[in-house]
Amino acid sequence: MAEFLDSLFSIFFIETLMNGLLLGGILALLSVGLNLIFGVIDVVWICYAEIIMVGMYLIFYLNNDLGVHIIPSMIAGILFSGLVGWLTHKIVIARLIDAAPINQLIATGGLLFFFQGAAMIVFGIEFRNMGVSLGSLAVSEDIYLSWTRLISFAISGLIVVALYLFLSRSYLGAAIRAISQDKEIMSLMGVDTKKLYLLTSAIGGALAGLGGCLLVLQYDVHPFIGLSFGPITFIICVMGGLGNMVGGFIAAFIFSELITIGGYFAEIEWGYVLAFVFFIIMMFIRPEGLFARKS
Amino acid sequence: MNFLNFFKILLTSVFFMIFSFVANANKEIKIGVIFDYTGPLAGGGSDLQALGVKIVIDHFNKKGGVEGYKINAVYADAQSKPEVAINEATRLVEQEKVDMLMGFYSSAQCVPVSAKLNAMKKFMWITTCISPAVLKDRNLKYVFRPQVHGGKFGEYSVDFLNGTSKEKLGIDPKKLKVAIIHEDGPYGSGVAGGNEAQAKKYGMNIVLKEGYSATAPDLSSLVTKLKRKRPDVILHTGYNPDITLFLRQAKEQGLKFKALIGHGAGYGVADKLFDAIGSDANFIYNVDPVSIWLLNPSSIAKGLPEVTKMIGDEYMKAKPDTKTKSAHVGMGASNSYVFFSDVLPRAIKKYGGIDTESLRKAALDTNIPAGGTLLGYGVKFPKEGSSNMMGQNQMASPVVMQYIDRKIKISWPKNLQTADPVLPLPKSSPYAK
Repeated sequence: MAEFLDSLFSIFFIETLMNGLLLGGILALLSVGLNLIFGVIDVVWICYAEIIMVGMYLIFYLNNDLGVHIIPSMIAGILFSGLVGWLTHKIVIARLIDAAPINQLIATGGLLFFFQGAAMIVFGIEFRNMGVSLGSLAVSEDIYLSWTRLISFAISGLIVVALYLFLSRSYLGAAIRAISQDKEIMSLMGVDTKKLYLLTSAIGGALAGLGGCLLVLQYDVHPFIGLSFGPITFIICVMGGLGNMVGGFIAAFIFSELITIGGYFAEIEWGYVLAFVFFIIMMFIRPEGLFARKS
Repeated sequence: MNFLNFFKILLTSVFFMIFSFVANANKEIKIGVIFDYTGPLAGGGSDLQALGVKIVIDHFNKKGGVEGYKINAVYADAQSKPEVAINEATRLVEQEKVDMLMGFYSSAQCVPVSAKLNAMKKFMWITTCISPAVLKDRNLKYVFRPQVHGGKFGEYSVDFLNGTSKEKLGIDPKKLKVAIIHEDGPYGSGVAGGNEAQAKKYGMNIVLKEGYSATAPDLSSLVTKLKRKRPDVILHTGYNPDITLFLRQAKEQGLKFKALIGHGAGYGVADKLFDAIGSDANFIYNVDPVSIWLLNPSSIAKGLPEVTKMIGDEYMKAKPDTKTKSAHVGMGASNSYVFFSDVLPRAIKKYGGIDTESLRKAALDTNIPAGGTLLGYGVKFPKEGSSNMMGQNQMASPVVMQYIDRKIKISWPKNLQTADPVLPLPKSSPYAK
């Protein structure tokens, strides 16, 4: 008990809370695109984290191998991921749009292995690293916060606000919201749902690319990086209510704080145990997600 | 003897010679070689170990095989997954009808596969996976490992600290604060167990011992705890990408220490470390069997330095971008070379073939003195019933190496030292206390 209290009132607990917040920023950004796609198209992209991986590889390749400046490389990564999202819908999802959910899951699961295999063939199994460090912000003598994570946090906040404004203030956004509520009626009213689905997939892909921009600064790029983030991103989306972007955003911070606080007071693996137990309990209490509106 | 009889004998002799030649020409030993060619472990060192084994197999085949037996290697990918390793091992035995299996990088794969093969009475020659759990208290009859086991890795780094702490750090080993962090599979746990036992033996102060998943996306809590416990030395066992993630987060969060000692796997791939964190990788230590290219040629048996050179040449042909030759290739090569140059010829000549029993008996007879392998150490397996780690090479030991400007220096033991160890970390390191 004394050890627990000592840990609780330590300056390092504050660092833990801040780290949880910053990790939440990354996870929130990753979940926004997946949530958007599910909210509108009603298909879960199991391969979403692999699109992030594709974006990371392109940024790495342009910057490291071709010597392109990091900013244009990142812009290209975002655009290319958007294209991958667009193609994913055009080639695979569009053909399964009315199929049973299990077929859609299997198809996107297959894409996951396709992306992993393709990355392995093209780039090999080597771990690649940009070798870039933005350093850290010294808050106090003992607390340092990673600039990369601070930037990720700020960008994920901006993206959620921008996406909210796009969906609530623009004509296209209104159309996307409408189609997510009733796609049959929208078709009958003359709206081209296919185009809107493609647009949503491209935006979702581009958001994956944006996530890739921030991950590539912090993590090694390898064909299996998706394994570290895919399941967690999916769980966050479910916890927040699949398709509910604000819910997913908040769930990301709850999940990340549980991971870091649990990891601080006990062994680091217990942080994940705590987060997953919380998730399971919430699924019993609110299976539709923490922040889902009751239908 | 009249001419007709002489002619009959001559004809019969020629017939038997031709028959024997044809029969020998068709002789082969079919070996299943399992490594992780894909998945996170591939880039973490497994593909390099596999390359070392392949170079040696190709080398023997170019020479015409072993005692008239051509080596027919069937390579299989465990995909960094234990369940795939088990399935592939079973497939190779039951469908490909291999005579034996060789390789294996991950201890998490070795533990179940070794039990399965032993039950199937198939010979298994482990070149790499190091966890003590693979062999300890299991009394496996057909599984042999010339490689150093993980407990020794863990003990060796602490021996190094015990021998240098007072002189280099000015800290009595009993007051030295050590933190042990490790990936939580059999490999990391086995090495960490060795760290802990030896640190306790020397009375060191273990301020933290903690495992984590090698695929964890965040290690900030671990770094925070380390900052709080303020260890002098961190003993780390990991694969990749967890090692680079830890080092990056440690730097960003301002973690300071006097020394960091890694234990093989990800730490054994110096190029990757330097590519990932640049000069921050300077002065990091790694415990591994010595890189075969660092050994003084005069310290190993006649003829072996030429083999070391050949392996290095083939390595560079296969991976021309290599800046620092990884110890992984040498390990895979040396441990397979022992089998093809010593065990297999004995099985064929002394025990009459390549069946499991002959291979087992030949392995048990192995008695290579120190200096008799490419890695410098000897090879001897315990006699039946004489050890709780049957099949483990009793003469294998690692060394402590330090990375300085992409070069590898041997720091420990003192008789193999190629440079005075830099301890504590100099101020130029971002991790320096």
